[in-house]
Amino acid sequence: MADKTGIMTPVRQFFSRVPRWVYVLVALGMAVSVPLFEQAGVIETLWLRVGIRSLVYVMLAMGLNVVMGETGLLNLGYVAFFAVGSYTTAILSSPRLGHHYDFWVLIVLSTVFAMAAGLLVGLPTLRLRGDYLAIVTLAFGEITRITFNNWESVTNGPGGIPQIFRPQIFGMNIDKPSEFYYLVLIFVVIVAILLTNLKASRIGRAWNALREDEIAAEHAGIHGTSLKLLSVVISAGVAGLAGCLFAYYQQFINPTYFEFLQSVLVVCMVVLGGMGSIPGVMLGAVLLDGLPEVIRQAFSKWLPEALGAETMNRLPQAVQTFFLEFDRYRMLIVGIVIVVMVIFRPEGLLPDKLWRREVHEEDPREMEKTRQKLFDFDEGHRDLEA
Amino acid sequence: MERTQQTPLLEFRHVRTHYGRIEILKDVNYKVFEGEIVCLLGGNASGKSTTMKTILGIVKPTTGEVLWDGEVINNVRTSERIKNGVATVPENRRLFPHLTILENLEMGAYTRTDTAAIKRDLEKVYEIFPRVHERRSQRAGTLSGGEQQMVAFGRALMSRPRLIIMDEPSMGLAPALVDQTFETIQSINAQGVAIFVVEQNANAALAIADRGYVLQTGQVVIEGAAQDLLKNEELRRAYLGEA
Repeated sequence: MADKTGIMTPVRQFFSRVPRWVYVLVALGMAVSVPLFEQAGVIETLWLRVGIRSLVYVMLAMGLNVVMGETGLLNLGYVAFFAVGSYTTAILSSPRLGHHYDFWVLIVLSTVFAMAAGLLVGLPTLRLRGDYLAIVTLAFGEITRITFNNWESVTNGPGGIPQIFRPQIFGMNIDKPSEFYYLVLIFVVIVAILLTNLKASRIGRAWNALREDEIAAEHAGIHGTSLKLLSVVISAGVAGLAGCLFAYYQQFINPTYFEFLQSVLVVCMVVLGGMGSIPGVMLGAVLLDGLPEVIRQAFSKWLPEALGAETMNRLPQAVQTFFLEFDRYRMLIVGIVIVVMVIFRPEGLLPDKLWRREVHEEDPREMEKTRQKLFDFDEGHRDLEA
Repeated sequence: MERTQQTPLLEFRHVRTHYGRIEILKDVNYKVFEGEIVCLLGGNASGKSTTMKTILGIVKPTTGEVLWDGEVINNVRTSERIKNGVATVPENRRLFPHLTILENLEMGAYTRTDTAAIKRDLEKVYEIFPRVHERRSQRAGTLSGGEQQMVAFGRALMSRPRLIIMDEPSMGLAPALVDQTFETIQSINAQGVAIFVVEQNANAALAIADRGYVLQTGQVVIEGAAQDLLKNEELRRAYLGEA
């Protein structure tokens, strides 16, 4: 849209000329400096907590992107894998059942159990496509949550699991928010590097090919079922890892953290950021998780402070309530953003190259029909003349 | 007739296939030898597409055997068969519409890992189809039917196949391009690749083929050398549009 105005074109050209690693370094630098700002007293600890949560979402968005963006399988129950990871850690590292396993053991176990859950859903459902797959995964997500809700002897049901032990890494107790922040950040970076390499590998190409045209991909020698299964399992593993870190940080989990709306939120992050684009979904996650917090602070604190208590009181009651209870409108605003986005920039904020091609034209297979006649007519003549 | 002595590259032995309870192929036998062009003729619903699917392993025979290079491959999955040297030019070509031509050709070499040799083969494909080279960075979906056909042939060649199976390669092409397509098939065959081609255009297909089979409601009713088939009265009446 924007490049038609002509104003954006030079700006865009400038940004596209900057090498990629510069962006990576800037983003990493920003991420690393958040706790430093907090320690210097520039920002409140609240923002550190928002940062940790955003990083967990970043990991979830990257994981979901593997199935949704790369392989083109819509998963509406993604939070189930996150729940499996969280509960694995919570059960095996809390006074609830008296277990206290090592951090590294639980990182691995959470990931592996989530992967096993992925295999469990993937095996019977991967024959399904589109809408059907979406419905089955949605059901799986709910079943998982309800299971944790009702399996009182182990999960303590709706009461949840409290007092999850703090992780100990190389003899170091991870306790302060800044320590947790860096811990999660390190794992986000590791996952991002792994997934970026995977995307560029033969496996990544096969996923893209399957998304483009499954039959053609099979004819190229790609074993569709096993590669799709691999994609589901890897994506589940990432969610399990995120779940483990989340449980450690939160120290308390219960089934309300794993509701359907969470899955939808992660789907929105992937769509907003750009399906199939790792930097894109990272941005999508930070925006969708961080922005509402910024807006809430703005309305409930910064604006009233700036306006002064008296001005605030003079505002109509409805406006005051809106300021104070902005949280209620959060999902509404997310919804509006997504609708606007899908209409005006369906490829996402930082789109993947291939996705942009898919979105930004009528189906070339349709176009082909009209073109074919024109071209073949020309060619036919040329061939006849020759 | 020394050919009968050697092992066929691809062989169907008394193959029967079913969709549910409906029998599609009824005790079918085919042989394709190394370096041959074999064409399969037949009307609608005669079992041509099922034959293709059975070669690829998408449909499994209920009884009988499919052999590749003398070994039974009934239970070998599609991707393995393609790795072993079968390539396809599928019906309607089925290129990846949003990938560029170069990317489409690279997908053809998906089963291979010998990067240097892939590059050489890519040059070879460009040599056969200069037009493909010209348009290599263009999206496949924006090509004309004739150009897509060339890319589809190129993609099939990229896997270094021993056999290419083609499903109606002339379908949807302008008449002038049809002859060109069959010439191309001949030149691909000249490089030593066996070709099994399903066609409606019986005249053109038999003109370049070594042997042919005629399929009718799941049974091979006529088979033999292509020249003999061209002369066959029954076949001429049924398929070549002569009263």
